Amino acid sequence: MAASDLFERSAPLSPDAHLVDSGGRLHLLVPNGNRLYDVDAATHAELERVLGRGDGTAVAQLLTRLGVDAPDYVDDEPLLAPPVRALSLAVAQKCNLGCTYCYADGGSFGGRAASMQLDVALASLELLFGDVGAGERVNLTFLGGEPLLNRPVIRAATIRAREIAGERDVRVSFSITTNGTQLTEDDADFFEQHGFAVTVSLDGAGAAHDRQRPFRSGRGSYDRVIERVMPLLERQRRMQVSARVTVTPQNLGLRETLDAFVALGFHSVGFSPLLRSPAGAGELGPQELAEMLDGMVGCGEEFERRVVAGERYPFANAVNALREIHRGTHRPYPCGAGAGYLGVSATGELAACHRFVGDEEGALGNLTDGLDGERRASWLHERHVHRQEPCRSCWARYMCGGGCHHEVIARGRPACDYIRGWLHWSLGAYARLMRERPDYFAAPP
Amino acid sequence: MTIEPTNLTAQLHYRAAGNPPSTLPDAAVSNAFPGLEFDFRNIWRRLLEGIELHEARGFVVSAPDHPSLAGQFLLAVGEHSMLMDVRSPGEPDGQTFMEWSNALADVVADNAGQLVACTFTADDPDGTQVVELRVRPLFVLSEATQSPTALIDEILAQPGELTQSLCSPWQNDYVECACYYWAASRPDFVNVQATAGASAGEEWLEVTSETYEQLFRGWQRTLRFIVGGRDGGQ
Repeated sequence: MAASDLFERSAPLSPDAHLVDSGGRLHLLVPNGNRLYDVDAATHAELERVLGRGDGTAVAQLLTRLGVDAPDYVDDEPLLAPPVRALSLAVAQKCNLGCTYCYADGGSFGGRAASMQLDVALASLELLFGDVGAGERVNLTFLGGEPLLNRPVIRAATIRAREIAGERDVRVSFSITTNGTQLTEDDADFFEQHGFAVTVSLDGAGAAHDRQRPFRSGRGSYDRVIERVMPLLERQRRMQVSARVTVTPQNLGLRETLDAFVALGFHSVGFSPLLRSPAGAGELGPQELAEMLDGMVGCGEEFERRVVAGERYPFANAVNALREIHRGTHRPYPCGAGAGYLGVSATGELAACHRFVGDEEGALGNLTDGLDGERRASWLHERHVHRQEPCRSCWARYMCGGGCHHEVIARGRPACDYIRGWLHWSLGAYARLMRERPDYFAAPP
Repeated sequence: MTIEPTNLTAQLHYRAAGNPPSTLPDAAVSNAFPGLEFDFRNIWRRLLEGIELHEARGFVVSAPDHPSLAGQFLLAVGEHSMLMDVRSPGEPDGQTFMEWSNALADVVADNAGQLVACTFTADDPDGTQVVELRVRPLFVLSEATQSPTALIDEILAQPGELTQSLCSPWQNDYVECACYYWAASRPDFVNVQATAGASAGEEWLEVTSETYEQLFRGWQRTLRFIVGGRDGGQ
């Protein structure tokens, strides 16, 4: 289905119901609980008629008549001081690449380049493990800048986290996002030993990547990254090595990129539209978002074919969307930022997430004085999707959660049509795959 | 008009034709113990293939295939013990049975579908016996995928079984919850006589050592309700 069709069909008519045609079957999504139903043609026609009138009371009455009304799954109450179970450490606020669009503004977040000292990393572990109970899980992520420019702190913090986890019977998982240029064979062994989720930023195969992610000298980084990543791809068992593609107007050939990285052996490949960069460079406009949606659907259609054929095709956006739709996940926030997840800057400042390092908007205290409970409560209150516009009137609000806080605060919500179009397509794909390959959804997540 | 639930949240919200709204978990006034709509404990009775357990205790009610188990108590399913240590100055090595549903939650999560070595008491008071039994999955498996759906398996809860013990819901709650459930209308310590340096009275917590049977039959005598300012039994 073309992007223009998807935009039209996914337009928000009601916050309480949305209709999907999966090709031969008709479906009703009830956003309250993100419940998906198969409906017959008569029911669909009746729903379509009532939705078209824009009469909220009539929609509610019809949903009651269908027996799908329910108490609110998500209420207006913000999360109250949820326990912190994931931290990202900005171990190196500096970078050896000069990417055209970097949200961290060259790695230093608009400030001075800095490296995290080990005592800051260890103090972070005290926060992460502070109130965790036996049997619980925590996650520790290393980010930058380019985190591998501060390898000793990554190694030491990982080993210490493992020790604490062993002492307290806590399960700890590790992640790192890297530009890949600094990876070594020894890193491959270390990440495999500790079961890291390694995300490598790769914006295309060859020239497309080189245009957006050059070394500071201007030379392309693609060949170097691939050479350095190959040992990890070969060694991954416990470790999972994924590619993350930032999509700008310069690299909209998604299918080509996806297939190239799947062929290289990445555990998964995911795409994110560039919606905000410090100087506005590379941000996608409406026309390019339509083109990107066409690309996403092209990848998604191939994903459907492969799943039906019983083949592995790790297109992360589709895998994640279908898993969430299957579960009916419904969330009042887009992510765990400021809730269960916090970012720690090189100097020990706490931020709502890794993107808010050095940004007063998302500042939430520091390691010395602790988490600023008042600011955090205010953040969770303000960021609740029920307080966002135009989210409150959108059927997709509990899937999307209102969009990345960092992008929304800086640029608003320019990509709602794109997000809804993708989710609308994903709902149809889910319904089709539930018919053809229900076993796909039985596989462990 | 027909409408069929597709994803998991829709399945969980499914209301069978003719059932009242209170049959949905979010509308029901109930908890893990007997509530006003159903008695959740009944699902445990046939959790282990080949034997039938009491709904509220690890007591083997019948075991046609394993005669030596009848009348015994279940002590452990694989690694999961039904007992926990409860130490006090008077009883440094004390043990007690865990609350039944909590004791079995991990078994369902870890062992559903598996053949597991189960430990029971034996006629010899110092001995135990171990029998391998299969743990039934709690939820119906999808025929297409062999993965769990959101529906409780009918083998575990046949029609009517989830509600059959509702003739005496509060007696069940009383035994299960000891002093932690009842509100202020049931103080733990009554008929208190204050004396110099100590107080004497009746501790209702002791009632929980009664069996269900005793409480069902003799609740007026056992609980000694206060009626008109006087103990009901007087």
